[in-house]
Amino acid sequence: MALKTETMVLNMGPQHPSTHGVLRLELEIEGELIVNVKPHLGYLHRCFEKHAEAMQYNQVIPYTDRMDYLASMGNNFGYVLAVEKLLGIQVPERVEYIRVIMAELQRIASHCVALGTNGADIGALTPFLYLFRDREYILSIIEETCGARMLYNYMWVGGLSHDIHPNFVRRTKEFTSYFKNTIVELDNLLTYNKIFIERTANIGVLPAETAINYGATGPMLRGSGIKFDLRKDDTYSIYNRFDFDIPVGQGLQGTVGDSWDRYYVRVREMEQSLRIIEQAIDQIPEGDVHSAIPKRIKPPKGTVYSRVENPRGELGYFIISDGNTNPFRVKVRAPSFVNLEILGELCKGHLIADVIAILGSIDIVLGEVDR
Amino acid sequence: MKEYLKNTWLGIYTILVGMKITFKHLFTPAVTIQYPEVKLKLPERERNRLYVNIDDCIGCDQCARACPVSCITVDTVKSVPGEDLGTTSNGKKKALWVTNFTIDFAKCCYCQLCVFPCPTECIYMTDVFEFATYERKDLVYQFSNLSPEEAEQKKINFANFQAEKEKQKAAAAAVPKPENPSQPSTN
Repeated sequence: MALKTETMVLNMGPQHPSTHGVLRLELEIEGELIVNVKPHLGYLHRCFEKHAEAMQYNQVIPYTDRMDYLASMGNNFGYVLAVEKLLGIQVPERVEYIRVIMAELQRIASHCVALGTNGADIGALTPFLYLFRDREYILSIIEETCGARMLYNYMWVGGLSHDIHPNFVRRTKEFTSYFKNTIVELDNLLTYNKIFIERTANIGVLPAETAINYGATGPMLRGSGIKFDLRKDDTYSIYNRFDFDIPVGQGLQGTVGDSWDRYYVRVREMEQSLRIIEQAIDQIPEGDVHSAIPKRIKPPKGTVYSRVENPRGELGYFIISDGNTNPFRVKVRAPSFVNLEILGELCKGHLIADVIAILGSIDIVLGEVDR
Repeated sequence: MKEYLKNTWLGIYTILVGMKITFKHLFTPAVTIQYPEVKLKLPERERNRLYVNIDDCIGCDQCARACPVSCITVDTVKSVPGEDLGTTSNGKKKALWVTNFTIDFAKCCYCQLCVFPCPTECIYMTDVFEFATYERKDLVYQFSNLSPEEAEQKKINFANFQAEKEKQKAAAAAVPKPENPSQPSTN
């Protein structure tokens, strides 16, 4: 006589240190194995899109900061590009260069958190501390220029809120030269650590086809071996002037598209960001960062979709203008939200402990998932 | 068996590689500071608690309109002739009594959007960040230097002035005009 078995439902979160915020995962388990995972969202919902309808165009920018709060510069960047497209503004060269440098610094800072917490969730606390130290250095550079550590409101429609601080160029150069050492340390400490590889290689394999079907972008997609980066494939701002590579997952320690590959792509992306910063920092032209800022932002009727490559993937803004000073509708395509949907697919058949490794490699920010 | 031994060796070896790095860090100076005792010097552009230099404020309400979260409330009363409010430090003549200028720091999002439109640069962000309170109502800061009684007095003054003016107007209207207004003037 066969024993009657049934699956058990286990809640992970909303208060769980490795769900990176307030995310509740409904795990359907059979013994230790995952049958299904259902993410429950909305604990951090702040009605960004509805709020934006009641704001003037420039007042929306502080709200965009608060979506992906680890990469606020990228959020600002996407929004101002969309509104500038709507208005038809050409920003000065100096602004373009500073924006690119800021966005790339932010990408490194964001990946520092992603990699650090991915390691820390699995049990490697040391690299987390080293990466946070270097992230703090980036934040202090940005703080010196714009006055805020995380929620910058730095990029404005047509320009920037402040010109760069006199120390900015020197400190950024200092950072790029010493951060290379940190990446080597990270590689030795965590990337090629056998225990870390055992925990992440062959875990949560995302085949390229599934990734495309789910609409995954960013390191998630590139980890599956697909060379797709908006900075190259749908180039915006002045990214076409710089020379950089797009790292993709190759399955060096296991299968293409496993958690380790996603981790590895982020490490290599930081190196490429350093390359972009090094090229851009010497070329910043003279100019006035305020010269193209419009007095009153009143775009003509129309719609615009503008997308940028945020650290987590394609961040898109769809704005409808009805010719007023407030946007009629702002829709955000948040990369974390789209990437999180694949979690159920990735976790099937793995152990409960692997859910944490997989979730860490997806790198979600709940502020952006819920908005 | 060979694979097993190789994996075991790799596990030990890669940990030793990591330990070497952490050991090196024993001799590097710490980046952490003992916060309440030692404080970092904040940059000059630091964006923390707002401050309003009320002597320079002309009550134009532009900061309140720029605020995306509506945390600034400015109430003004027009001055009556004979009252001298002085000028601001950049030479603008003041014409309004600022009877109420409150900022609710529980709502403030520190975006600095209110700072840029100010014509007299009297509202700015300071580097004060330690102002936690036990009650949320303590985060509402009043910057107006008029006491509630004074503010009330200003309102009464202006209402009286307005009434006086109305009376004069009415008196002027009551006096019959010497010429017929329907006749067009010859010159």
